[in-house]
Amino acid sequence: MLTVQEATVPSTPPTSSAEDCSIVTRGLTKRFRGGQVAVDGLDLAVPRGAVFGFLGPNGSGKTTTIRMLLGLAAPSSGSWELLGVSMPRGLPAVLSRVGALVEGPSFYPYLSGEANLRRYDAADPAADPRTATARIGLALDRVGLTAAARKRYRAYSLGMRQRLAIAAALLGPRELLVLDEPTNGLDPQGTREVRALVKEIADEGTTVFVSSHLLAEIEQMCSHVAVMRAGRLVAQGPIAELRAGETVRIRVETPDTAEAAAVLAALGLRGVRSGDGEAGAELGEEAPERVCAALVAGGVAVRGLAVQRPSLEDVFVGLTGEGFDVDG
Amino acid sequence: MSERTRRGRAMRWGVPVAAIAVVAGALGAGPVIAAVQGEPALPERTAEQLLADATKATRADVKPMSGTVIQTASLGLPGLPEVAGMGGTSPAALLAGSHELKVWYGGEGRVRLALPGRMSETDLIANGNQVWLWESDANKATRIKGADARQGAGPEKALPTAATPQLTAAEVLRRAQADTVVEVTNTERVADRPAYQLVLKPKDGASLIREVKLALDGETFVPLRVQVYARSAAEPAFEIGFTSVTFTPPAAENFTFTPPAGAKVEERTFGARDQESGAEHDRAEGLRETIKTVGEGWTSVAVLPFSEKDLKAGLSQGRGGGQSDGQGSGQGGGQGDGRGGQDANAIVDALLKSAKPVSGAWGNGRVVQTKLVSALLTDDGRLLVGAVTPEKLAEAAGRR
Amino acid sequence: MSTVSGREVAVSGAGSAAERRPEAARGGGSAPGARAVSAPAALLRLLGSEIGLTFRRPRNIAMLAVLAVVPVLIGVALRAFGGPDDNDGGGPAIFTQVTGNGLFLTFAALSVLVQLMLPVAVAVVAGDSVAGEAGIGTLRYLLVAPAGRTRLLAVKYANAAVFCLAAVTVVALSALLAGLLLFPAGPITLLSGGTIPLFDGLLRIGLVVLYVAAGMAALAAVALALSTLTEVAVGAIASTVVLVIVTQVLGVIPQLSGLQPYLLTHWWSGFDGVLRDPIATGDMGQGLLVFAAYAVVFGSIAWARFTGKDVTS
Repeated sequence: MLTVQEATVPSTPPTSSAEDCSIVTRGLTKRFRGGQVAVDGLDLAVPRGAVFGFLGPNGSGKTTTIRMLLGLAAPSSGSWELLGVSMPRGLPAVLSRVGALVEGPSFYPYLSGEANLRRYDAADPAADPRTATARIGLALDRVGLTAAARKRYRAYSLGMRQRLAIAAALLGPRELLVLDEPTNGLDPQGTREVRALVKEIADEGTTVFVSSHLLAEIEQMCSHVAVMRAGRLVAQGPIAELRAGETVRIRVETPDTAEAAAVLAALGLRGVRSGDGEAGAELGEEAPERVCAALVAGGVAVRGLAVQRPSLEDVFVGLTGEGFDVDG
Repeated sequence: MSERTRRGRAMRWGVPVAAIAVVAGALGAGPVIAAVQGEPALPERTAEQLLADATKATRADVKPMSGTVIQTASLGLPGLPEVAGMGGTSPAALLAGSHELKVWYGGEGRVRLALPGRMSETDLIANGNQVWLWESDANKATRIKGADARQGAGPEKALPTAATPQLTAAEVLRRAQADTVVEVTNTERVADRPAYQLVLKPKDGASLIREVKLALDGETFVPLRVQVYARSAAEPAFEIGFTSVTFTPPAAENFTFTPPAGAKVEERTFGARDQESGAEHDRAEGLRETIKTVGEGWTSVAVLPFSEKDLKAGLSQGRGGGQSDGQGSGQGGGQGDGRGGQDANAIVDALLKSAKPVSGAWGNGRVVQTKLVSALLTDDGRLLVGAVTPEKLAEAAGRR
Repeated sequence: MSTVSGREVAVSGAGSAAERRPEAARGGGSAPGARAVSAPAALLRLLGSEIGLTFRRPRNIAMLAVLAVVPVLIGVALRAFGGPDDNDGGGPAIFTQVTGNGLFLTFAALSVLVQLMLPVAVAVVAGDSVAGEAGIGTLRYLLVAPAGRTRLLAVKYANAAVFCLAAVTVVALSALLAGLLLFPAGPITLLSGGTIPLFDGLLRIGLVVLYVAAGMAALAAVALALSTLTEVAVGAIASTVVLVIVTQVLGVIPQLSGLQPYLLTHWWSGFDGVLRDPIATGDMGQGLLVFAAYAVVFGSIAWARFTGKDVTS
């Protein structure tokens, strides 16, 4: 099986100059009154323009982190910056440029979708009331709720509610979008739409910070990823780098397991194992076709040959010690 | 918890703490300012000088003035169920709790007294020989004939217990005799005015009264406050005084009264209200002659031939003549006005219920004690009342 | 519906152009202070939104309707059965006067409603203001909008004060209309026995409305403070109402009469000072000071709590 040492995981060190980062945290910690530590010494660095996946099982401290980032909860210690401005002092000025979906949609049930958005828009001191109608219409349009704009929120389906929450995050021009579990409650079609929307927003240059417990979602949307486990950050960096840190193995299906293992060892491959009709080793820099030729030349009856690239899931199971809901 | 958040929290909660301190400060500012300004602001005067000035001021025309008088009674009457919370326009209600009285005095017999209640008001307006009693609760205006405000303190007496400080002060002044320790201070503040305070302490230990304090305005010598302290309590048992006073002539509208349209208008002759109570009045006049006093000064005891039946009858009828002769400062409290008849009955019932049976060489009886006044009703039909201990009453009962 | 969505599309089409402009203005790490809206205007906009929310909410409309109906019921009852017989002294004289002058229905209705019904209505709105938003989760979206905690609290209180004024006005107007329809109107006899013309009477009703609204606004500060302590709106509302009742009970215990000047409820009925001659400005001024003291103390408690609180719902 794969063994991943944490030391091998590339981790972007918190940059001293936060100029090129949308979110930077230093030692961010939240200790609840009971003494329970929800977030422990978090050092995040979210590059500007990235689609940053914030991954971790339920209860790993993702939502608490987002609450602290947005000023809803005060950290017990540590500091953070949003869009290059030190928090919490800069919150009032910066939050207008940040769109957020935190812990599911929450709206006034007796108001229409449009009236709900108008309400949140009114709360933003930087929002221009003259453009409110236009901005609200645009936001509804982007999430496909234009037809339901006048319907009371009470009558919205779960998916519509989620879309309305995303629309609320898109009310103004945003430099950073924080989306906490954005595809919750959405059907596969809706999930695809959100994914497309995130890509579109990212293409406009907005940094998107997406938290999820769904690996597949992160894998398909994100350029960067950070992994939380029990309140601690266990890995962060570009997805490609995380993958690169993993070992690719070659697997040979053969009745002659001992011979196969010997050939693999002779090629200088490491981590050779054999048994039960197959043998395998870490591929390293070796080309698979050369291994195949060597096996055949060594008289091994090759029934099947496979190169095993580790999935992101394998990486994260190794990191977090827990499984992910891969299919979502 | 980071240092900054902790400090931030402490500073945040400092704001409500400061707000509470400011409010508490504003509440306590009066006494504090008074204490700070407590340095002798007035020239020193001896008791005699002060009494002379005060007497002069009482006799001479009082300057036009208006103000608010608060009367607080904590007489320690045993259980006055209904009466206490009545809100204020019923005279019997003045026996317990705190009551506000507005006073306007325009000189030359022009006086207006207003007793505000919740959504009601009782007014006594005197303008020369025009005297009106207005009761908003009953929507009734009573014209009182035969009373001329220019002749003495007629209208002031017409309003039952709550007399003006002037009247009460005159009463106290009369008691300043050989059996009293008299002291004067010049550092008091009453109604935000510097005032002299005359302290009168009975020498006789049998008196229930510890001391009587009389505050006189430092400029006009108008009595501003009277406090009667019982031996049994630190707070005054009875207090009447101005909480605000201005010595400027009040608006003339205060002293004109026209019964409003739709109000009942009655006429009464002062002293003998109507025919029915005339007989009662005569009876009361007769009663006055039968009152004996035993002892002198602070510890004098009034002895009346009286039974329980008489007591109730006397209280529920028109006002008896007995209380205007100044026998004991608390005695008037037991007497009501015709309007307060029901209340008076309730008081009597409550009093009798709480009466303790006593006996001695003089016979048997029942005794009621309040903070300031004791009363002994003997089985042989005598009522002994005085601002003295029950023992002293019993002693007086023995001296026939 | 098709016309509506057609309009929407047209609007969003126009909107995209409108939206680009501020974005361009802000592009490249623009100064956060560069705002299209002045701070007072934005505050008024939020207050407008808050007031709109309060007066569009079915529950609040229902409460105002009930408040409007009660004076009418009192008027109809007095008309049908006559005032309480003044000889048996059964009720306050104010009710007797209503039958003679319809304007008195306003004072009578307010003196009844100020005891419990108005406080309950105010407790519902002010007690719900923070706890209710926390309960349905909209509070966190308002805060990340960002409404600003101090700013939001100020708007919440201003809104509660506006509701107080509206509730008292509704009672007064309803009582005024019912009184004028059911009873004769004319010059008003004051409690002091004097008489003032009808127009002066109306002015004095205006003063009463302002005074009672100030008293209710002081209660709103208490309810707001309680509202910041919980995420359960019903808890804040119920504890405010319980507090009102306990205070009123304390106010009628004779042994505790010394406490009365410090009790909020004691001063609510002080509006009868308007009906005296001269107007009891001293007493009513003292009442207003007490209201202000309550508002400052409980407002600052609400502020300290709300600005330091973790929003976890």
